[in-house]
Amino acid sequence: MLNLISKIAVPAMRANSVRSSILALRAFSTTQEKMLNLTPHNLPTEQPILSERPLSGSLDYVLTSWDKVKNWSRKSSFWPATFGLACCAVEMMHVSAPRYDQDRLGIIFRASPRQSDIVIVAGTVTNKMAPALRQVYDQMAYPRWVISMGSCANGGGYYHYSYSVVRGVDRLIPVDIYVPGCPPSSEALMYGIFMLQKKMMDDTTSRMWYRSY
Amino acid sequence: MSSSITRLIRNVWRNGLKRSGRQIAQMNDTKSGTLVGIDDYGNKYYETKNPDEIHMRTRWVEYKDFWRPDASHVQPGWHFWLAYGTDTRPNQLKPEQIAERHVNEIVHPISFSCTRGSYVPYNTAKPKTATWEPNVKTRV
Repeated sequence: MLNLISKIAVPAMRANSVRSSILALRAFSTTQEKMLNLTPHNLPTEQPILSERPLSGSLDYVLTSWDKVKNWSRKSSFWPATFGLACCAVEMMHVSAPRYDQDRLGIIFRASPRQSDIVIVAGTVTNKMAPALRQVYDQMAYPRWVISMGSCANGGGYYHYSYSVVRGVDRLIPVDIYVPGCPPSSEALMYGIFMLQKKMMDDTTSRMWYRSY
Repeated sequence: MSSSITRLIRNVWRNGLKRSGRQIAQMNDTKSGTLVGIDDYGNKYYETKNPDEIHMRTRWVEYKDFWRPDASHVQPGWHFWLAYGTDTRPNQLKPEQIAERHVNEIVHPISFSCTRGSYVPYNTAKPKTATWEPNVKTRV
């Protein structure tokens, strides 16, 4: 009797498993048939990720263009809060001075974190300064980015083994761009700024929000 | 006179509308000069001898990649020339003047940050903790 049931049931289950692998791409299913299917099978992992899927609907095109416009406006009004702590700050000042002249790029230093999008952490972050930096970061409005400038801010640098220095500003706030150097030249900081602008242009938030549905 | 309407009209007349638009988009200025060289990546280097131009603004690069220009695409020798480190351009060097490097890349390496080829750090330190590996004995 049991043999008979299995002979009838097995082809049905095979067909069911094939259909389920085609139709139900979502891996998790709590139906009884799915739990009965104990045959080891490969999950459909070779799928293009959201960002690599071809544009499908017209709204996809609209949102892609909207993303570009939004990103362009964001990267073109690049308003950093200065957080000059050490000698890196001098190089940061050079970027705003006439030789490198950040104003021509639409970069204006803001005194208040509430008005700024980016914080440039230039210099050694000490333990005493850490809560102040975190507070400045928390006061910034979304979207916000962080440039870590110089080896001290990147990972403690020369003061890595000091008792009073934070070993990298990424222990306090998430960092987007690390500019290496001790101190980095003004050109290096500008290169970091351009890299961050490229990163801003690669933002795909609204597209991904639409495609995830 | 560094920026005047006559200079703008002259440079647009010399460069054409398309190239002038690209120049304005890339460096907020129109410039006219002589093409002095092209590097590995196809970036074009220009120089002008016009005495009316501003001091230290007589050499410039026009990147091949218009939408994502990157300063690391400038060859090191050309970068030195652009920064007025030398008056001898890399394409003017004699073969005996070109420095032999330990690693001679045919095309100079660029910064791969923010691309698929970017460096991803990994940890080589021995972990301080060991993960539990379940070892199931077969039931008798």
